[in-house]
Amino acid sequence: MPFQRDEQVSKPLQKTIKHGDTILEARGITKRYPGLIANDHIDFDIKAGEIHAILGENGAGKTTLMKILFGLVQPDEGEIFVYGEKVKFKSPLDAIQLGIGMVHQNRKLIPAHSVIENIILGHPKAGKILDIKGSTLAITELCDRYGFKIDLKAKVWQLSEGEKQIVEILKALYRGAKILILDEPTSALAPPETKKLLASIKIMTGENLGLVPFITHKLPIVLTVSNRVTVLRRGKVTARLATSQATESSLAREMVGRDVIFMLDRMESTKGKPILEVEHLSANNDKGLLACNNISFSVHEGEILGIAGVSGNGQQTLAEVLAGIRKSLAGKVTLDGADLITSSSLDRWKKGMGYIPSERVTVGSIGDYSIIDNVMMNYFFDDEFSKWGILDSRKIRKLAEEIIAEYAVAVPGPDTLVKSLSGGNLQKVILARVLSRKPHLIIANLPTQGLDVGAAEFVQKKLLEARKDRAGILLISEDLDEVLSLSDRVAPMYEGEFMDIIPIEQVKREEIGLMMAGMKHKVAES
Amino acid sequence: MKLGSYEVKLEKNLKVTSLGAAMISILAILIALGIVSIIFIEAGINPFSGYKEIFKFAFTTSYGFPLTVNSSIFILLCTFAFIVPMQAGLWNIGMAGQLYAGALGAFAVAYAFGAKASQDVILSPGIVIPLMVLGAILSGAMVGAIPGFLKGRFNTNEIVVTMMINSIAFWVVAFMIKEGGPFMGGGGEGEGYKIPKSIYAPQISGIPFTILIAAVLAVLLYFLFTKTKIGYQIKTFGFSPTAAKYAGISPFVIPLLVFIIGGMIAGFAGYHYFAAVPRVGKITMNYGDYGDLSFYGIICGLISQENPLAAIPIAFLFGGLINGGRNVQGKLNIGFGIDYALLGVLMITLVFFQFFYRYKIVWKKIGKEN
Repeated sequence: MPFQRDEQVSKPLQKTIKHGDTILEARGITKRYPGLIANDHIDFDIKAGEIHAILGENGAGKTTLMKILFGLVQPDEGEIFVYGEKVKFKSPLDAIQLGIGMVHQNRKLIPAHSVIENIILGHPKAGKILDIKGSTLAITELCDRYGFKIDLKAKVWQLSEGEKQIVEILKALYRGAKILILDEPTSALAPPETKKLLASIKIMTGENLGLVPFITHKLPIVLTVSNRVTVLRRGKVTARLATSQATESSLAREMVGRDVIFMLDRMESTKGKPILEVEHLSANNDKGLLACNNISFSVHEGEILGIAGVSGNGQQTLAEVLAGIRKSLAGKVTLDGADLITSSSLDRWKKGMGYIPSERVTVGSIGDYSIIDNVMMNYFFDDEFSKWGILDSRKIRKLAEEIIAEYAVAVPGPDTLVKSLSGGNLQKVILARVLSRKPHLIIANLPTQGLDVGAAEFVQKKLLEARKDRAGILLISEDLDEVLSLSDRVAPMYEGEFMDIIPIEQVKREEIGLMMAGMKHKVAES
Repeated sequence: MKLGSYEVKLEKNLKVTSLGAAMISILAILIALGIVSIIFIEAGINPFSGYKEIFKFAFTTSYGFPLTVNSSIFILLCTFAFIVPMQAGLWNIGMAGQLYAGALGAFAVAYAFGAKASQDVILSPGIVIPLMVLGAILSGAMVGAIPGFLKGRFNTNEIVVTMMINSIAFWVVAFMIKEGGPFMGGGGEGEGYKIPKSIYAPQISGIPFTILIAAVLAVLLYFLFTKTKIGYQIKTFGFSPTAAKYAGISPFVIPLLVFIIGGMIAGFAGYHYFAAVPRVGKITMNYGDYGDLSFYGIICGLISQENPLAAIPIAFLFGGLINGGRNVQGKLNIGFGIDYALLGVLMITLVFFQFFYRYKIVWKKIGKEN
C-alpha cells in the first residue's frame, strides 16, 4: 500500500546517522535461476562512512546481488534492512526513495542532452517547468562539496568516460542518495581520472555516505580505497575481511579459488622482420572528427606492440582502419610488404590479418547463430571450407568442436546459440576463431575487457602463444597492467596520436600514465 | 507490466519445433474460419454450406482448382521475392513494381517478334518463350536493382524507395497498354495486346510450366540459405550488418544482390500471371489488382518465417481462399468481398497465434503480503 511506503521513507530520513552506524543490512539473500543459484544465503552490511567493496569474477553473483540491493530483482529468500527497518523493494523506485543510488557501468545517459539536463531528468523536484537555474545552483553546490569538476552545460557526448561517471554519481546524489552502489566504477578511467574519483569518494565517506563498489578486477583499487571487502565466488561469500588484512594475491585467490599467476610467462622473443608498417595514417571517427592523427609505427614478427590509452583516444578508429572496415584519410599501410590501403577487409583476412574486435556481442559475433555459424564468420571465404560455393558443413563442425575442446568453452555442444554464452566463453570462441587461422598480424582490441581474472589470464596466455608462433600482435588495451605485462613495446595514445613508442625495458609506469593523459615524453622528463 | 497485484511478463518460448508451428497454424486457420462464420450468419448464410462451397470450388472442381494453383504460384513467387531480401534484413515492398516490369519485359520481347499483329501469328515457342521469360527476369532485376543499389551505396530506406517505384511502374504500364500505348490491344478497352496462340505457355490441365520453376525455386532457395557461401553471407548481413562488415561481407554487394534476385523472381511472377496463365495471355485491364495481390507475399513470407518450403502450403491456402471466396460471393449473392474478409481475418489470426506460440505470457503474483 502506498501510504505505508511513505511512512517507511519519512522515518529513516529523520534519524540522525552517526559514523559507523549500520545503514543497510542484507541477511540470507538467496536467488535461484533455472540451473544455478546466483546468490546463496549472502549476508552483507554497509556502515555509514564506509566503503565496502564486493569482489568476484563474472558469474560470481555480484550483478544479481547488486540488482537485489537496488530493487531491480526480488530475492527468493532473505531480508533487507535499511536503517534497521525491514524493507521490501518492489522496484528501484522503492530503493531510490530510501536513499539508495546506483551508478551503472553501462552509463544510462542521453548523449545529446547537457549534463544538467541529464541530472534532473526524471527527478521529482524537476516538475513540469524546468527550473534549470535552481537546479544548477544546487548541483554546483554538490560539485563543490565533493570536489567534482565538471561543466554542467556540456553535452554528454563530449564528456570522457570519467566525466560521465561523475554525472551518474551526481545524478544519484542529487536524488538524495545516502547509499551508493557503484558498478565497476573505475573500469574505463585513466589513472589520473581514477585518482580524482577516489579523492571524491573519500570526501563522500566523510559525510557518512555508504559506498558499495562492485569490482571484478583492478584489485589495487580495492586495496587503496575500501575499508572492508567481501569476496563472492559462485554465489557464496568466500571471505569478508578488513582491507588492512588483505593482500592482492590473497583476494585473487579467494576470487578464483586457486592461485593466479600475475606474472605471465613472457618468453624472450627475437624481433623479426616487420609485418605491419603504418606511415602517417590519419582517419576520422563516426562523428567526422579527426581521431587518428598522422600515426606511424610498425609491428614485427614475434612482437606485441601495446597501445595504452583511455578509451576514446582514437584506438577504436585505428583498429577499424587497420582491419579495413573504416576508411582512412591519408597515409600508407602495408602488410608483409604489400600495400593494404585499397584492400577490402575480406582481402585483409585472406592475406593473414586477424581482428579481434572490442564489441564482442554486436560486432564480433551473432547471438542467434550457433557456435558453428559464428566460427564460420572467419572461414566462409576460405577455399578449404567450401566447394563451388557450397559450404562444407562437416569440416566447419569439426573445427568448432576442436575449438570448444582446445579452449575449454563451457557449452553443451557446437550447436549452442552464442547468445547463451558468458562474456568469457564468447571471447574464447572469437579468439579461437581468429587465432586458428594462424594470422601473421593480430589486432586485439580490448581482448580482456569485462572478463573475469581467469578468462582474462587465458586470453593473455593465448596471445603470448601466438607471439611465440611468430605472429605480430597489435594489442589495444585500457588496462595498463595488461599492456605492461604483455607488450614488447608500448605506445601511449592520446587524442589520436602516439605520444611515443617505448621498448618495455625502458618503460616507467608513471611516465606512461602521464603520457596517456596527454603529456609528451620530453615534458615528462624535464 | 503490472496489473493489480500481478506482474505480467513476455517470455520467449525456447522450444519451437516446426511441427508445433504447423499445428498452431492449423489452429489459427480454424479460428479464422470460425470468426468469418459470424459474417456468414449475419448475411443469412449457413457458414457450413458457405465454407463447403468455397473449399469445394477452390480445391475440387476442374474449373476452380487450376485457378487456385495459378494464384498460388503467383503468391508463392511474390513470397520468394520478399523472402530473399528479408533474409538480409531488408524489406522488399516493391514486388508490385517488379512484377509490372516483368510483365512489360515479357510482352516487349513478344512485341519485338511481331506478336502484336494478330493472335494467329506463328512464332517458334522454343525461342520466344525462353526469351520472354528472360525479358521478364531481366526487367524485374533492373527495377529491383534500384533500391538495392541505393541501399548499398547511400543507405536509403528500401521500403520508401520500393513503394515509390511501385507507383512509377504502375503508371508506366498504364502508359504502355492504354490510350494508344505501344502494347495496347486491338479492342481499345485499355488492356494489352493478346499474345499469339503459338506462344501460349506449355501446360498440363490448365496449369502452366511455371509451377515447375516455382517448385525448383523453393528447393533452390532453401538450399541457398542453408548450405551455400552466398546464403551464409546474406543471412549474416541480415542478422547484423556490423558483424557482417567485420567478417568482410560487403555492405554494398549484399543489398544489391538480394534485391536483384528478388526483382528477378517478382519479374518472373509477372510473366507467370500475364503471359503463362491460360485465358489471360495479356496485361489485363485490372493489372493493379495483381500488384495488390503481390502483397500477400509479404504475409506469406512472414508467417512461414522466411522458409521457402513452409511458404508453399500457406500460398496454396491463400490462393484457394481468394478464388473460392470470389466464387461463393457470386453464387450465394453476398454483397461484400468475402475473399478479402477471409484473408484479412486469417492474416490476423495467423500472426496472433504465431506470436503466442513463440512467446508466452507469464503471470506472477507479487507483493501479496503488503
